[in-house]
Amino acid sequence: MSVSIPDLLVNDGFLTASERESIEAYAQESGLSFIKIALTSGYISRKNYDRSLLNAGFTINEHPREEAYDQDVLDKIDLPFAHERLFLPLRIENGRVVTLMTAPDDELVNDFIRFTYDMDAEIVLTSDLDITWLSNKLLGEEYVKASVFELVKRDPDSSAVVTFSTAQLIFIFVLIALVAIGLVLSFKNTSIIINVLISSFFLVAIIFKLFLALVGSRFELHQAVTREELRKVDDDGLPIYTILLPVYKEDKLIKKLIWNLQSLDYPRHKLDVKLLIEEDDDKTFNAVKNLDFPAIFEVIVVPFHMPKTKPKACNYGLQFARGKYLTIYDAEDIPDTDQLKKVVTLFNKLPEEYICIQSALNYFNRNENFLTRMFTLEYSYWFDYMLPGLDTLDIPIPLGGTSNHFKLQELVDLGAWDPFNVTEDADLGVRAYAKGHKIAIINSTTYEEANNEPINWIRQRSRWIKGNMQTYLVHMRDPANLIREIGWKGFLGFNFFIGATPITFLVYPLLLLIFICYVVFDLSSIRSLFPDWVLFMSIFNLMVGNILMIYINMIAVFKRRFYELILFAIANPIYWLMHSISAYKGLYQLIVKPFYWEKTNHGLSKVNSPTNLVK
Amino acid sequence: MKISGAVYLAIITLFLVAYYLVCAVYLNKLDYYNHESLFYIEKAKIVFEGLGNRLKTMGLTSPLIPFYATFLFTPVSYTLAPVLASAVGTAVLFYIIANNAAKRLQDNIYIMLLLVIFLFHPGIIYTAASGKSIYLILICFFLFFLNLFKFYRSNTTFHVSIASLSLVGLIFCDYKFVWLTLFFLPLILAITLHSLNLGEKESIFRLFQSFNSPSLRRKLVNKTFALYIIMFSLPLLAVLCYKLLNLTHASDLNYFAESPYATWNVLIDKLSFDHLSTNTQYQIPEISLLLSARVVLFAPMILVAIYLFRESTYHVLTILIPFAFIEFLHIKYDKVFLAYQYYLIFMILAFLAVVLKARTVKRQGLFKFLLLVLSLTQIYFGWYYLRNSSIAEERDFTRVLVDHAGEGVATDNIDIANYLNSLPSDTHILVDDAIAYPIVAFTKDIRPMIMPYQGNFLSALESPDKYVDYVIVANARNIQSGYTQLNDKYIVSIRKAISDLNFRKVYETDDWTVYRVITNASGSEFGRIGGR
Repeated sequence: MSVSIPDLLVNDGFLTASERESIEAYAQESGLSFIKIALTSGYISRKNYDRSLLNAGFTINEHPREEAYDQDVLDKIDLPFAHERLFLPLRIENGRVVTLMTAPDDELVNDFIRFTYDMDAEIVLTSDLDITWLSNKLLGEEYVKASVFELVKRDPDSSAVVTFSTAQLIFIFVLIALVAIGLVLSFKNTSIIINVLISSFFLVAIIFKLFLALVGSRFELHQAVTREELRKVDDDGLPIYTILLPVYKEDKLIKKLIWNLQSLDYPRHKLDVKLLIEEDDDKTFNAVKNLDFPAIFEVIVVPFHMPKTKPKACNYGLQFARGKYLTIYDAEDIPDTDQLKKVVTLFNKLPEEYICIQSALNYFNRNENFLTRMFTLEYSYWFDYMLPGLDTLDIPIPLGGTSNHFKLQELVDLGAWDPFNVTEDADLGVRAYAKGHKIAIINSTTYEEANNEPINWIRQRSRWIKGNMQTYLVHMRDPANLIREIGWKGFLGFNFFIGATPITFLVYPLLLLIFICYVVFDLSSIRSLFPDWVLFMSIFNLMVGNILMIYINMIAVFKRRFYELILFAIANPIYWLMHSISAYKGLYQLIVKPFYWEKTNHGLSKVNSPTNLVK
Repeated sequence: MKISGAVYLAIITLFLVAYYLVCAVYLNKLDYYNHESLFYIEKAKIVFEGLGNRLKTMGLTSPLIPFYATFLFTPVSYTLAPVLASAVGTAVLFYIIANNAAKRLQDNIYIMLLLVIFLFHPGIIYTAASGKSIYLILICFFLFFLNLFKFYRSNTTFHVSIASLSLVGLIFCDYKFVWLTLFFLPLILAITLHSLNLGEKESIFRLFQSFNSPSLRRKLVNKTFALYIIMFSLPLLAVLCYKLLNLTHASDLNYFAESPYATWNVLIDKLSFDHLSTNTQYQIPEISLLLSARVVLFAPMILVAIYLFRESTYHVLTILIPFAFIEFLHIKYDKVFLAYQYYLIFMILAFLAVVLKARTVKRQGLFKFLLLVLSLTQIYFGWYYLRNSSIAEERDFTRVLVDHAGEGVATDNIDIANYLNSLPSDTHILVDDAIAYPIVAFTKDIRPMIMPYQGNFLSALESPDKYVDYVIVANARNIQSGYTQLNDKYIVSIRKAISDLNFRKVYETDDWTVYRVITNASGSEFGRIGGR
């Protein structure tokens, strides 16, 4: 049966003539098949396409995964080509190559089959998603191994595959031994020394954070990209922009995701959106399959390989990325609609050494409950003040989990994300600095869904804190080298920012407990153990530290004009206790299962998330 | 070559430091001391050399920030530390103001004008050379208002939070400034109202409009409340925590402000007022409304400031707030004369307004001339006010500086301290530093002294024979003798209580007597060590 799919779709009224022309022009330009563009760039829904095929008398194989395959046949296929044309030759049967195809009229594929196997194709029509699933599963091993081991091979010192280096283990155990010996020999003096060290560290860390917040807040009116500059952007001159969307069991969010992506102000053909689905994630896979409206992303199925982490999925997707720039969004993210254009404009303005631009993150469901309010306070302070502060002082910026925009080639050169690190973003930020690159901050926000459920929150936070520990351990394997690479300022910033965070949360409940005992039970033994000046320092730290941290949170939401959240900053000491629980969980996991990815459930919020349209 | 360059400013600042130090050392040689600096010297000695519970002294001595500022200079000399701090601090104040002026005005005349004030204004010299905390008050005050005005213009959180931090500093330099917050309450509503995006320009109609629209009303309330929180939560929380610390460590919420062991001015203020009001030549304290007039006379440049901001109601209100504040202080603390720093703040505020708005003046030549005339007037009235101050310390400053003859706060104390310094190092002396801190400030070694911060003070008070060799007692002529247990009555009562105990007068000045603890039977001293 010879039929032209474009004709079919136009005749069935699923495509207009102009859309057809537009697709064909882009297919010519990009090398992608007509049907690939039609299905992944928002022209036609898969259900409508199936409907057209069925009406035209075609039969669609609903269970291609059960088809037999011959490895020799598969070995002659390149995975990117299979992606581009949506086909997969499986085996040779009756002198023909049994080939899964989404569009039966793809002459390029038919020619390729004839040329490669010297016989005609026996076309088995099936869904593009199933072809993608099978092609990645059957041909993706080389790619998935590269996504896991590339960094280890290329730059083993930057990989968290080894959690503790030998030197670090020796240091930790010697330190524990010294403290134990000290406590046995002179309990009082050793306690004093520990107390003073912890107190000083706390105070310096908090004052450093206050300083950063003030430096950051000073530039709150600074517009990295102005509206005027944005207005001048020429759509035709924009480069291809890859968006990676790593998801796992996010079936509830797929519709929202499409809505958010459609709102992005960027030429449709210049977006290369890749939804990265794990091989075993049937939920999301089926949710995409069952969509009854056009999707604007391409699905990439990540074959199973340990560790099952987001960075591994991103590395996998990166190998098929076509853009000049690349960013990552989570499924529930709502970026400012002009974010991509702003980033391109800023990249054009910045010197070459800038390879990444981080957008601010905030939450759309901030008023949902106590936890979301606290989370919003924290994020406002982190992304609006801390990161701009670090940026201004030229200190390594730990990237946020999403909305970090990269120059794709430089990202590849850098070794991409470390799949063994559970906060690969923070690690990548430091690694970029260490390799002489720079990161900038942009005045654009992506709204995410704040975790609104305590257990889920602790799971997420324990992963973040574990990741911070991993990142700290990786980069502190050779402190002298790190100083050489990022300078003293960067080194101290790294220690007080990345290193101090887990330690602070680990120590906080202990200190609080001692203080409560001291005040409530009037423990005289504490007074006899510590000299006055040590007690003074500790109390001063506790008071000043808590007040300042609360205040920093207040000023951050003040800037965002979330006035109703200001008083919630007072509840921070309780919120920090939740951090402490997560920190202990993270520490435990760091030791027993360092690469385990604590999955955060999204889509729990009942708050409607409007698009953040920037006028 | 521009004088407003950072390097030039730094050089001028260093020159000012040297100038102030010369003044300070000169005054020091003439034995000019004041209670505040002596108090800091004594407390610093306790913190660094004392034996016993120093935590309370360390944490609850008030005002806290000026006290800690002297720590920077204690390695040089305990005695000179406060004046070194004030000399350097005043020069820093100059640098801060000049730097702002240089950035905004780019006209050396204004810096020259500022320099003239900082070189010749007696109030500034008093600030720099007295060792008092005025320099820190002025710095914090300047930063507070500077950032407030910047906030009005830019609406950035940075400036409002720096203003808030400065307010914390101000309160911890002088607790009375906590009342300043009171007058900002209505002002902040005005600021918020101004920031709302309304078509109406007139404030009262804006208010009417915002109260009658639910969404605007919510916005107004939320924003006003948020601004209150950002502005005042830090100072108020800091005060609350400080008060709680006072409660836990001294069992009194207001220990830092009301105990003579924690702050220097409780007794001094009280005594100076008692002294003046019971004097034969009764001196009328400041009368409420005249106080503002006195301020205008002291710092006429403030009128220029008001004129410069005439187009913005809340800017003018901001400038008027310190007037309301001092009037309030006068009512609240009716038995205390208004100290010199409360006048000086107006001079600083006026100059700040000039720095912020001078560019808008068209006739620059005339304006600069006017400022020069006003500066000279300020210098004259600065001198006049200091010379005729109701506060003895302030009068003393000019007398020592010019006539080389003050009322001698220190001479008596130095004599006693010299005597104590001559005693063997293993002797123990009972001293109540509520009023005897000037003596302790001049002693070389405070370890032999038993003072109230130490746990054994009460035991030593009840059984001096077992703990000390000497007791320092305030004479009846000492005007502060009613505020210490160690006065004449103590000697009589303890003699009655312990029959075998007696005291031998070994050294005496007008205000103090040093007694040696002896036995009646032998006339010899108690074997302190054996008796313990």
